[in-house]
Amino acid sequence: MRRALSALAAAALLLTGCAAIPSERDDTAPSKRAAAQADVDAIFDRYRAVRNAAVGLLDPKPLSTVESGPVLAIDTGSFEVSQRLSTTQDEESQDLVVTDVQTPSFTKYPLWFMATAFDPVGKVNRVQIFQRDSAVEPWLLVAAPQTVVSTELPELRQNGDGAALAVAPSSKAGMKMSPQDAADAYARALGSNGTSTEVEQDDFIRQMRDSFDANSSLEGVGVTQDWAAEKVEHALRTDDGGALVFLTLLRLDTYDVQPGVTVSWPSGSPQEAFLAEGISSSGKLRYYHQVLLYLPGGNERPRALGQYGGVVGADAQ
Amino acid sequence: MQTKAGWIVTILGALCAVAGLAIMIVLGPDSRFTTGPHEIDTDGIAVVTAPSVISWKGVQVDVLAEVPVNKPVFVGIGNSVDVENYVKDTRRIEVTSFSTPWSVRMRDVEGREGLSGAPTALDWWIAGSAGLGGARVSTLLPDETVSAAILSVGSSNLQGLKVSYAYGIKGGFAKGVGLVLVGLGGVWGGALIRRGEGYWEDEDEETVFVRRRTIPDEEFEELEEIEEVVYLYVDENGVEHQISPEEAAGYEVVEVVVEGEDEEPVEVEEAQDAADAEPEPEPEPEPPRPRATSGVLTAADILAGVDSSSMPEPEPESEPEPDAKTGRVVYVYVDDSGVEHEVEETELDQFEMVDEPEDPDDPDRKGES
Repeated sequence: MRRALSALAAAALLLTGCAAIPSERDDTAPSKRAAAQADVDAIFDRYRAVRNAAVGLLDPKPLSTVESGPVLAIDTGSFEVSQRLSTTQDEESQDLVVTDVQTPSFTKYPLWFMATAFDPVGKVNRVQIFQRDSAVEPWLLVAAPQTVVSTELPELRQNGDGAALAVAPSSKAGMKMSPQDAADAYARALGSNGTSTEVEQDDFIRQMRDSFDANSSLEGVGVTQDWAAEKVEHALRTDDGGALVFLTLLRLDTYDVQPGVTVSWPSGSPQEAFLAEGISSSGKLRYYHQVLLYLPGGNERPRALGQYGGVVGADAQ
Repeated sequence: MQTKAGWIVTILGALCAVAGLAIMIVLGPDSRFTTGPHEIDTDGIAVVTAPSVISWKGVQVDVLAEVPVNKPVFVGIGNSVDVENYVKDTRRIEVTSFSTPWSVRMRDVEGREGLSGAPTALDWWIAGSAGLGGARVSTLLPDETVSAAILSVGSSNLQGLKVSYAYGIKGGFAKGVGLVLVGLGGVWGGALIRRGEGYWEDEDEETVFVRRRTIPDEEFEELEEIEEVVYLYVDENGVEHQISPEEAAGYEVVEVVVEGEDEEPVEVEEAQDAADAEPEPEPEPEPPRPRATSGVLTAADILAGVDSSSMPEPEPESEPEPDAKTGRVVYVYVDDSGVEHEVEETELDQFEMVDEPEDPDDPDRKGES
């Protein structure tokens, strides 16, 4: 026993010494993990503080320091609705629990990472993307689709250092189509009135189709709905060789109303906030929808796991 | 096998010691190598290293930038992805290669005269420091690609820039000393293993080890194995005494240990043959051991059927020796040949008293004259 302990101590001493000895790195190519856990905590704290300040003032302007792109557009629209309807916004929950953080490595900016947080108030999981566009800009929330608690996200693949693997939007390796092609196919499916076979007919597609059918059934009202997918910027490799794709869809509802007819919306709805007088001739409503799309490995078709969206603009005559 | 292992440990120990010595010599007692100040001729606002220049990890690096007339200056070390993005549009000097003590290659990169943000406002520096007339940064290089940057702050530039650079290992000198000690320990341990005193033999408290004769290195090739029989006598105090084969013949052989690879100690019966000893004398019957008793039977004794008459009687006290017990003094005359002769008390006047008894009360001691 004494000998074993002595040998163990000697080996530990040698190993400790070796570990502390400097060495030359094999790979000097620039590379950086997007964020450490401490960074993520600080980013969430800052986001919560700024958002709560904006909610307190019912002023979306501070949000521009922590949000960007479609998320900022959706939240700004939401604040506008609250102002017009004289309602309040919910403060960011202090009990928001970050349950998972996936940080890819990058060789250049922009840097981004995915954080999943459980919102106990809304009883949803927020699957968020924070991005830093350059070294002098702050981290901004750029995508925030929500999933119901029962929805399980696919396992993500990681490299040897524990970094998540980003998928190029144009790469279709191991999948039926590339993330960008999947986004375009999903937009086509939403606008095709159920005739597309490129993607799964999921709940989101059915919900959008029901809404469109209800509007189209109005007498004296012609309604068209156009969907367009924006450029995909964030996709992560899943364990099955597929991809988890964050896509943003722009939806444009166009109303042509016959003379003598006015289209109006229920009181308290976002559409009513933007178009208080309704549409009596023609009008347009613009929406952003952020969709979390699962593109499985192999030949399976993509399907939506969650979404977050709202009215971002309107004009009417 | 044991010899090979010993040599391997010895060589590794020697290498370890040499490496430690080299570290001590290169780094010195302050554990750092320092060079500078070196002037860099620039009127720009940024000097940065390319990603491939700093290729080490675990090294303690110090950079000191000094500029004249108390101009504000910033020194920072950050991940190359951050630094490259930060200065990508800025006119700068890029250090493309560096070797110690101070051999630098640089190139000018065109760009605009200004940084995209204040360096002191950025949160991604691994280490950064700003000051008037000079700034110093000290950090342990991480396991990632990093770049060093010297940047002017505000509207000034880096004209008159002087750079000092130091690198080392935190506690490097002490680690060098440690390596030397570990190495020397390895050399010593290797020697012990080669001599068979290492950790490789199974030690047993009952086993008597016999020292193997050491073979000088130059004789090692010719002499592979030497057989030597050593006889040991263990007295009642457990002390071993080496005895000759002739003396060994008079003793009982209790155990024979044969030293060598994978050999078990030989049993006593076999040992007699192996030792080729003379016939063992008849062992004397062991005297009955006295048993302490109160003379009263206990319950256990009764159950065991012990008869009180069989209980040993207290031994009668032995008759006191007349000389010792009566305290009679014996006078002895020692002649020229050293032979003692007892003399009567009445004859004492013919002799000279040369020694007195030390303790007259001691009955065992007798006076000598």
